[in-house]
Parts: sequence; C-alpha cells; structure tokens
Amino acid sequence: MAISQFNLQAGQYAQRKELITVAEWTEGTGSEATQVREILGTRTESSSIEYNNDTSTTTDIRGINYTDLNKTQPQQTFDPFLVLGGSKLGAKLNDLRRRNALNEFNQFTIYVITKYVGSAGAYEAECHTGCSIFITSLGGDTKVNMPIEVHLSNDYKGSGAPGLGTVDKIASDFVFTPEVQG
Amino acid sequence: MDKNQAIIDFLFQCPQLRDNPTFFNFINAKDNNKQIVTTSNDKILDTSFIDGSVEKQFTFTIIDFKSIEYNALVNQAGYEDENMVDFLDTQAIIDWINEQDNLRNYPNFGSDCIIDEMKTTNDNPSIAGVDSSVQPTLAKYSINIQIKYIDNSKKLWY
Repeated sequence: MAISQFNLQAGQYAQRKELITVAEWTEGTGSEATQVREILGTRTESSSIEYNNDTSTTTDIRGINYTDLNKTQPQQTFDPFLVLGGSKLGAKLNDLRRRNALNEFNQFTIYVITKYVGSAGAYEAECHTGCSIFITSLGGDTKVNMPIEVHLSNDYKGSGAPGLGTVDKIASDFVFTPEVQG
Repeated sequence: MDKNQAIIDFLFQCPQLRDNPTFFNFINAKDNNKQIVTTSNDKILDTSFIDGSVEKQFTFTIIDFKSIEYNALVNQAGYEDENMVDFLDTQAIIDWINEQDNLRNYPNFGSDCIIDEMKTTNDNPSIAGVDSSVQPTLAKYSINIQIKYIDNSKKLWY
C-alpha cells in the first residue's frame, strides 16, 4: 500500500487539533447497548502519544551499533482532564473510580485520527481495541481535575496490530473503514 | 454574537445600571451616570487547547460618576455622609457582579462560547479621578471586570 502524503502545503505545519484521540466504549447491555464516543483533550494544553520504545542495541567489533525496536507501549496522558458538565467519559470514569471497578478500565476502543493525512471523507486513522484509561488523581485547586492515562493496545480485534483505516468525517458519528489488506 | 451587546444586555439586569443613564464608551458625565468602557483584550493571554478551543479573556470597565461633597464627617446617629453613601452604591455593582458569578448567571456570548468565570478585579471601587470642570464636581469610581471564557469556534470536533 502506498504511503499517504500529508495533505499540507510544502512547509505548512499541522495544527495540533488535527491529531485527534477519540475514546469509544459501550453503554448498556444487550439490545440496549450503545456505542459512545468522546474526543480527548478538552481543556488540555499539551498532550503527546508516548511510545515508550523498548529497544536493544548491540555493537559489533567494528564499533557499529545495531538497534532493534522490540516493542512499543504507546500511552497518552491528559492533564488536566477537568470534570466538565456534559463529559460522558468523565462520568464513565468517575463511576468506575467510585466502584473501584478495576476490571472495567480496559474496555475502551481508542481511535487516533490524523486529519493531516488523507482527504476530506477519508482521513487516516488507527483503531486500538481493548485499551485502558486510568484516572491518576482527583482534585486540584479551583477546578476539579481528574488526569487520565490512556494506554493503547496495539491491537485491533485480536489481529495483534492496530487497525488501520480511514474515518469519513471529524465528528462523533464518524464511520471507521478498515483498509483492505493485500 | 456581539459580546459588547451581550455585556450591555447582561448589565441591564443590575439595578444600578438599569435605573440610571448608562453610556457605552463615551459619556456626558453627570451624577449617577454610568459608563461602560471597552478595553482591548490582549491575545497574549489566550490559552489554546489541543482540541482547538481557546480560553480567552474579555475585560471591560464600568465608570460610575458620583457628585461629591467636601463635608467633614460627623459622628452623629442617623447622619449619612453623601460620599460614603455613593461609595456603597458603587460597591453594590461589584457585589452584584460577583453574586452573578456565584449563581453562574453570565452574559450570553453565543453557542460557541462557554463562560467559566466572571469577576471584578478588585473587591472595592477605585477612584479613577475627580472631574472638577463640571458642577457639581464628579468622582469617577472605576470597576474592572474580567470574564474568562472558552471559545469553541475553532474546534474541529463537536
């Protein structure tokens, strides 16, 4: 598959808001189950996906280094993650927190959408299923802050790799279309 | 949504402004007249968030003109000093603004904006000057008001 180019003019930078992390989870059960999505980063000034690269390096007898990337454990921190009216994810996490429902923090799907790659109607995205979102603290000074860590699974429905594809629009009702491999 | 009009509409809920002549930026100063003075809001104070929203500040000043007397204070039951009465009348504007913040009753900046906070920058009115070129002489009491709001108009995602 050809590498997609940035849809930016030469030398033009991508705006931070064009890198979008979206959490998705299921509310309710059975026939009443619904998918809920929320963009992450409201009131967050800076946040990056940290890949936490695990590398190993060997040096041959000529002094040349060979570095292997063994695994990545991508993680993104959102601090502050303010308690805001209308935040469904905030309410969800607060419910998990107060119930200490440890085994329910890892039931999120995370989409990473790059609006600066692709074209209108087909922005590149990756989908990670079985991701975890943890609250790291609760409190603050004048506003209630509930910072979170998002741990990406690097797994798309058991495939062992992120699902690659596109989303048709930048809105909560987007449709993720997986790439056809081959 | 014109924020200045939103401010005017909002301030007309305040008895001190609703019940007295209130002017926008330019005024024929007389006793009890109020003046709403706009200020240029410095963009350097904006805070951008990764979702494209921006925290901004909208600041303005209310000038309250009060005629002044040059009478010494009298320690007598029932005596009211006009300057003190006028000061308290201006103080009531500050108290009203801060009470609205407690109630989260804010100006309507439109659907793209969410107001987080509205406050006076001082607890009491400051005396911005005395105009002795008019009769009676007028004191200018100044109240600075700061509104912090989130501007969502540049967000990609709703």
